[in-house]
Amino acid sequence: MLINILNGLVYGGLLYILAVGLVLIFGLRRVVNFAHGSLFMVGGYVAFAVAAYGGFWLALVVSVAVLAVLGVVLDRLVFRPLQHEDPIATVLVTFGLLLVLEDVVKTIWGKDFLSMPTPTALAGTVTIAGEIFPVYRLMVILVAVLVAAGLTLWLRASRIGLYVRASSVDPVTTGMQGVDTDRVSAVVVAIGAGLAGLSGTIAAPLMALSPSMGSFILIDSFIVVVVGGLGSFSGAFLAALLIGQVHNFGVVYIPWASSMIPFLLMVGVLIWRPTGFAGGRA
Amino acid sequence: MTSASVPAAAAARRPAGRGYGFVAGLVAVAAIGSALPLLVGSALFLTLMTQAAINAILATGVGFLVRQNGSVSFGHAAFFGIAAYVVALTLKHAVMPAELAAIIAILLPTVLAFALGLVIVRIVGVAFSMLTLAVAQALYELLLKWRELANGDDGMAIAFPARVFGVDMATFQQPHSMFLICWLILMAVILGLWLLARSRFGTLTLAIRENEERARFIGYTTVVPRALIYAVSAAVAALGGLLFVLYNGFVSPGTLHWSLSGEALIMAIIGGPRLVWGPALGAVIFFFIKNAAGDFTDHWPAVIGTVLILVTVLMPRGVGGMLVRLAGRVGGRRSS
Repeated sequence: MLINILNGLVYGGLLYILAVGLVLIFGLRRVVNFAHGSLFMVGGYVAFAVAAYGGFWLALVVSVAVLAVLGVVLDRLVFRPLQHEDPIATVLVTFGLLLVLEDVVKTIWGKDFLSMPTPTALAGTVTIAGEIFPVYRLMVILVAVLVAAGLTLWLRASRIGLYVRASSVDPVTTGMQGVDTDRVSAVVVAIGAGLAGLSGTIAAPLMALSPSMGSFILIDSFIVVVVGGLGSFSGAFLAALLIGQVHNFGVVYIPWASSMIPFLLMVGVLIWRPTGFAGGRA
Repeated sequence: MTSASVPAAAAARRPAGRGYGFVAGLVAVAAIGSALPLLVGSALFLTLMTQAAINAILATGVGFLVRQNGSVSFGHAAFFGIAAYVVALTLKHAVMPAELAAIIAILLPTVLAFALGLVIVRIVGVAFSMLTLAVAQALYELLLKWRELANGDDGMAIAFPARVFGVDMATFQQPHSMFLICWLILMAVILGLWLLARSRFGTLTLAIRENEERARFIGYTTVVPRALIYAVSAAVAALGGLLFVLYNGFVSPGTLHWSLSGEALIMAIIGGPRLVWGPALGAVIFFFIKNAAGDFTDHWPAVIGTVLILVTVLMPRGVGGMLVRLAGRVGGRRSS
């Protein structure tokens, strides 16, 4: 039972790191990046390629850096030119991008499943309450906690964090106060994309790499973002914990219907509270 | 996308006027289409056009939702696929005649969409798109993993009786005849949706799309009309699924996958969802690009992804919208 809860935390942690990037970008730009799952997938593949030469830790750094740069490009070429259009235009363009990225990865690495070894330093297991649990999975939980703590600090203490929080509550007034969204947004989108890279990298030793790996986690992270309340950081954290547990519970006990459970949960939450946990802000 | 709505609303307020022109144009396109099997002998071309017509029906459903509700669905393949699976499963277990199964195949997704719509149409904008995607993908996974029910990824071949609705099954499964059936049904769907869009109800949903709060203040309930539009667009998608399954005699979870939902949306965007007939035009263009891509079919997703990006950025009203504008300029009737 404890092991199941821990595994739920692992998946919830991966989801949180991915979903919070969506929330960051949404907070500032009011758009949803449909290519976010593809960034997760590209992050996994970049890590796979680098790990073959320089090991896991170098792969982690390179993957996050590459994705952060990709984020800046994304902001400059997509989010910024489309900021005065309907948000749906950005959705459509990032959806197009998703198709292109999946195809590029398929061309480079093929569509067969690839697997990445667990880093040797974390290959062992520990015994928790009489049951064996891999150290690597504990590290994933730890990384998610660190990301949550780091982001909270950054949002509370830094100037850009202040702008992001202000903008996610009321973008118009924030703009009138003289905050230059364009200048802030490159940093924010870079962080969001970098986090997708981080999530993809630490997920890579846990799951088989395939060009479509981004799609299913994108859908779960959408559920997290909507259940949490679009644009809410704490909402996304709670929702990721919940969806992680529910997902894992489903996979273990009712595998054939596991995909339906997060969805039913989402419908339940939306009936109870149409704007998600955080309410009112969506 | 709200900016393009004024001409549509104006057209809805004028029931006469261009109305006859639209119907005449539709009849002409229906007639030209009907003549195609006689003019073109190539079975390959007719196969392509039959696929285009079936997908055009799905895309028309997706586009109608954009037009009336301003909502972009990333999950309409779910209704397409449910319709196909209803036929497959009811015929496999021989619980009802094929004709009844065909009717249920349309009704069930419609009712499901209405119930779901009551919950999710309250979510507007981008979140709605995310939800529709999540719903459809959950259903896809269910059909993929519940092997006892639907045979998983291998799909199901369907044993149709020799005659359905008094028509020889072969009629449905040969491109010559099936193209004609699908094309005429497509035209009927477009005509029906066009009439619905011009009706009081259609105008009301446009008003809700423009400003839900204002519509509520002047005394309309807004959730039910939006859910009804969602149900209508799902019914159209389900009709596409029914024709698909009649034509192919086979169904797999791919019919619910988001890549099909995405393709239908892309067709709608290419053609221009502000026009009832836009998505159908988009579907035909889509299949011609696909055909022309030929050697690049391995990289088809990248090709269509690029087309989507270009159309969204350069031609936000789609090819249809551009044609209307050109026609307006030539005729000199329209200022916008």
